[in-house]
Amino acid sequence: MEGQLTRQSETNWRTYRTLIIVAVFVFLVPVWARFIPGDVLHMDIVNIMVLAGVYACAVIGLNLLVGYGGQISLGHAAFFGVGAYTTAILCTRLHWFPSWLGIIAGAALAGVVGWLVGKPVLRLKGNYLAMATLGLGEIAFILFQQVKGLTGGTVGILDIPPLSVFGLKFDTDFKLFFVVWALVMVLMLLSINLVYSRVGRALRALHSSEVAADAMGVNTSRYKVQVFVLSAVFAGLGGALFAHFQKYINPESFTLALSILFITMVVVGGMGNIWGGLVGVVILTFLPSVIQALPQWIPGLPSGLSNFSNYELVLYGLLLIGFMIFLPKGVAYGLARAGGFTEMRARHLRDRIKARKIESH
Amino acid sequence: MSTNDSRQVRLLWGSVAVVAAIVVATLIDKGSIGLQLILSGLTVGSIYALVAMGFSVIYSTTRVINFAQGGFSMLGGMLMYTFSVQAHLPPWLGLILAVAIVTAFGAGFERAAINPLKDKSVITIIIITIGLSIFMTAVAKWIWGTDPVKIAAFTGEKPLRFLGASLVPQSLWVFGFTLLAVVLVFAFFNRTLLGKGMRAAADNPDAASLVGVSSSTSSLVAWTLAAGLGAAAGVVIAPINFAQYSAGTTLGLKGFSAAVLGGLGSAPGAVVGGLVLGVLETITASYLPSGYKDAVAFLILILVLLVRPQGLLGKPESVKV
Repeated sequence: MEGQLTRQSETNWRTYRTLIIVAVFVFLVPVWARFIPGDVLHMDIVNIMVLAGVYACAVIGLNLLVGYGGQISLGHAAFFGVGAYTTAILCTRLHWFPSWLGIIAGAALAGVVGWLVGKPVLRLKGNYLAMATLGLGEIAFILFQQVKGLTGGTVGILDIPPLSVFGLKFDTDFKLFFVVWALVMVLMLLSINLVYSRVGRALRALHSSEVAADAMGVNTSRYKVQVFVLSAVFAGLGGALFAHFQKYINPESFTLALSILFITMVVVGGMGNIWGGLVGVVILTFLPSVIQALPQWIPGLPSGLSNFSNYELVLYGLLLIGFMIFLPKGVAYGLARAGGFTEMRARHLRDRIKARKIESH
Repeated sequence: MSTNDSRQVRLLWGSVAVVAAIVVATLIDKGSIGLQLILSGLTVGSIYALVAMGFSVIYSTTRVINFAQGGFSMLGGMLMYTFSVQAHLPPWLGLILAVAIVTAFGAGFERAAINPLKDKSVITIIIITIGLSIFMTAVAKWIWGTDPVKIAAFTGEKPLRFLGASLVPQSLWVFGFTLLAVVLVFAFFNRTLLGKGMRAAADNPDAASLVGVSSSTSSLVAWTLAAGLGAAAGVVIAPINFAQYSAGTTLGLKGFSAAVLGGLGSAPGAVVGGLVLGVLETITASYLPSGYKDAVAFLILILVLLVRPQGLLGKPESVKV
């Protein structure tokens, strides 16, 4: 029992160490990106990384819901949209309204909506939950379009002020990058603590068997709603940051395609692996730009391919299918296994060398 | 169990009564325009029903929701454009060719992407079929461009008059196809050995494979059938709806709602769900701003899921522990 406990705290410590390494690595991105002129990679790395950070907020929460709680949501774009619209409406209607408070309000309102919706809907399971959340996402999208007095209809809301905290303005991608990714790291820290807490264990029990968890005295319906609300808050936070980053929003930014993108990021990265979500976000946010830049990187590529404006989506669809067939447990799992494999090989080699030494003695 | 059954029967008849009351109220309120609305609703509903049947076939045999089902219909419609408008083939030949190509594609996809899967969890397959749908949309945009294309109706465009309301002849083709499809699907699953075997495989894959029905074959047949049904739906509705590369998503979502409303996995349920959804949607659109039309469909979807997850005609699923 004691051994178990030390192992638990050891994993915890290791996870924190990984978080610090990842944070240092991420925060160095804009530094080295400055030394590479834009026309070498044909993409604006810092800009894409800000978008990735914004998406990461939503994906970290969704990963807790899907990967740990085992509940599917195909409607998280709705919460992302609620967060974005809340801060956009507050900051453009009331000019004195501080944008940081708008972001908090957006996250809070997304949480309230998540609670109202989650309570009835989370009684459903599997495919049925997927459908209900999909329907809710579509209804939210239609409301964003139709409640024209508030949301500006299909035109949306323009001239959203940049994020500013007590007079400090974060109006360039470079400045915003650090705010967004600092927030992502805070959310990661929260999630790590949650996963190793009583709630995290309850969620995993819920994931493997709801009936068994219920029988063991886990209040499954309460935990399900709680993690759903938490994921809605994270998504609302991401959406609010998105509004201040893009400076304009319209309903087209919050369609089913975005909900699908979120869930795909979770699955491609690795469900139920807190790092997986981050890996998935970075891969899928960069993927369109990488596919677009391919013809410039590889000059020998047949000209037919680069003329074909839609090959990005064709490739994107094929890649999604490919990821699911070849890496169903996610890229993070694949990486970890590859790492584990080389580690095992190295240990094996070391042992053999040691054995030889003993023999020669 | 019996009280539960009678409660379900009451719910079923209750919802039928509600729909009937809405229809009668519309007829009284709007007269011949109301009749027109109901006729258009039935046409739209038949379209949803045809798409919903594809969902049902795959779901009832493999418990998979195919998010690319609307894409099969889109592909059918676009191929029909190529054969009947661009290549000047007669409609019946265009229909056969379009359905044959999409069916082969569906079967090929099942073998290439669904069958080799080791991890057949709900979410993995949902993402694979979403990937397929993105792929098909992109390819269609590449081949046929972004403009919607018009396809001539099978038998003339002159509307039929009926009690002050009018109906395009293509609607009759849609009704006919829906009827034919539901009869064929029902007969296949209830009268043929293969169909019955597939139902057995869905129920208990291990026991079914012991008596020679493999769930792998069953999945292949279901995908082939669903692709064919989807393509036929796309071809027959193209003269009414216009064919366009992006039509798959909306068709898929509506067909999906219809399938859930009627009861996922039940072919007659798909027809009932489609017709009810089409009529309710058309009627509400005449009272509300038209932008809310689609919201009605999804609201009905969610309400049905919460009150009666197995749909109007579906059987409740038991949970194995």
